[in-house]
Amino acid sequence: MAMTPGTQTPPPPHLGRSVRIVGPVANVDMNQTPHPRNSRGELGKALFNWYRNTISRDPLTRVSAPNHFADQRNFLAAVVNQAPKGKVNARQVAVSDPAAMTRHIKAVAHHMGADVVTVARAHPSFLYAASAPPKDSAARDVYQNRSGDVYQGRTPEQMAERYPYIIVATTAWDYDKLQAHRHYIGDAAYHVSQMKAQMILKALEGYIKELGYAALRGMSNPQAAGLASGVGELGRNGLLIHRRFGARVHMPDPIMTDLPLVPDQPVDNGVEDFCKICRKCAINCPTNSVPFGDKVVFNGVEKYKINWLTCYKIRPYVDTHWGSCLTCATVCPFTKPNVWWRSLTVWALSTCPIPARPVLVRALKAIDDRFWGTTRQTRVRWLGYDSGIKPGEQVCTVAGCTAEHGTAHAAEPVGNIGYYAPLKENTNRFVKRDG
Amino acid sequence: MALRSGWLKAPWRRAERRSHDPYWDFFIHTPPADRANSVIDVIRQAPEGNVFPTKADLHTPEVTTSHVKQMARYLGADLVGVTTLEGDDPGYPFAIVCAVRADDDPREAQGIGGQVPVQNGLFVTFVLSAWIRELGFRASIAASPDAPRLAAAARLGTLNRTGRLTTAEYGTRVHVADVIRTDLPLVPA
Repeated sequence: MAMTPGTQTPPPPHLGRSVRIVGPVANVDMNQTPHPRNSRGELGKALFNWYRNTISRDPLTRVSAPNHFADQRNFLAAVVNQAPKGKVNARQVAVSDPAAMTRHIKAVAHHMGADVVTVARAHPSFLYAASAPPKDSAARDVYQNRSGDVYQGRTPEQMAERYPYIIVATTAWDYDKLQAHRHYIGDAAYHVSQMKAQMILKALEGYIKELGYAALRGMSNPQAAGLASGVGELGRNGLLIHRRFGARVHMPDPIMTDLPLVPDQPVDNGVEDFCKICRKCAINCPTNSVPFGDKVVFNGVEKYKINWLTCYKIRPYVDTHWGSCLTCATVCPFTKPNVWWRSLTVWALSTCPIPARPVLVRALKAIDDRFWGTTRQTRVRWLGYDSGIKPGEQVCTVAGCTAEHGTAHAAEPVGNIGYYAPLKENTNRFVKRDG
Repeated sequence: MALRSGWLKAPWRRAERRSHDPYWDFFIHTPPADRANSVIDVIRQAPEGNVFPTKADLHTPEVTTSHVKQMARYLGADLVGVTTLEGDDPGYPFAIVCAVRADDDPREAQGIGGQVPVQNGLFVTFVLSAWIRELGFRASIAASPDAPRLAAAARLGTLNRTGRLTTAEYGTRVHVADVIRTDLPLVPA
């Protein structure tokens, strides 16, 4: 909680079993988050050039990923998020029953295509610090929705009192394509659903304004609001793990509002017990950024803390093969197709008494290792892409294609496995692993 | 609250939920007081991006057509077809027509909710046309009154007496998104 003299600080928020507030929390300054720091050149030349001066060689990445486009006008999220903001409707719709309005907002977001919609009660510690957002054009994709003067001289406490609810609406990305993570196929799954989420949030923001209520963007930390409203629990991999989608949910910029709503509560999906034992993400992380050890206290929050810098630093080295790593999201045992057996398993885990859970988790982990595998090597084919082609080689594997391809083509792919750059032998050279 | 019985879902539950929603009619039918609160104008008025200077290494037109259709479905189109444009547009030999399911007719339901099919259609056509431009071919989107005619030519369905597209999958509850005109080598339906 940011301490401001003269204002009453509310008690620390309840964020579920996976995250505990143990000390004073300073509001996060968005200028100190990874992308803005990189756009100022603070993370070195390689990362700066990757972020600012790289055009992807993949046409689909050029239309769907922030910052690697050839022409920004071909990137929908930039078009949507940089559009001028609408005015709040002067004729406010009266809300007599906040519960009915909450059901309505959730139905609206689902109608627009959102997969997950929750409402959190705002807490001053969720808010970003009052400093102005980065003016730099390259950092615009982060918090680009925020207009400079949203705080209007108020403290975070006063803001959380005036705008007491945060609507978290988001999309999940595609399970089958995610199996070819560290490949352009996985990137497509990630980036396309991210663009969709950004369009939905922009439309939802506009709709709340049409109802006659404020809708502020770029204000709240999405993970904190997601935890408080029960999107999921925070896993070892530093991602929110949802009951139905696992770690494959986006956490885009939520909407802070004064619309009367009923907040949701944190959930218990058994993630806390699973992460204590599993460590699959930590083993698979190509940069060794996910901790093997226990939770740490950082900024007053007790949680698993990943090393974001090493996670970030691999990107320029693999730029020719993919944009988003997603290894920790893919290998997470909670990330499964949304089918009955995963519902049954999560139900069993979350209804199991907590002292008995470690036994169940070990059994489930063994089943997951046996059937899904300890690491992903599935071969995925989509459009002209094929993850069975070794990184750096080119070959047309489209059935029935008789076209003369101009580029040099290598031999046929060997075996029915997928290759995910960087390969294990490369990452062992890239990061020092302990033990 | 509707009766919930685990895996069994009452088939009428969804409709019932909406009829009990006191704000649903506002969402569907009340036009926005400020057009800037709708993303539709924003996307429609956005300038068209450049065509990537290097043409991508394409497969045969048959394969490219199937890839374009796969991509459109992945982006959220429910129906997609390709047809030729005869002479009316020099330099754009083909039209890609996408259609999305529309529970409410966007021409009558002017609210943000009623326009959601238009919004979804624009998402598909914007990203699909941008992707074709990044492949190195021309592609532009424009709202045109003869979209249902082109949709019928692309074999998405047939036109009924009032000139609306009628499809086998969704009847007339379908919105034809803006037509993409392109010179990407395709095979019309």
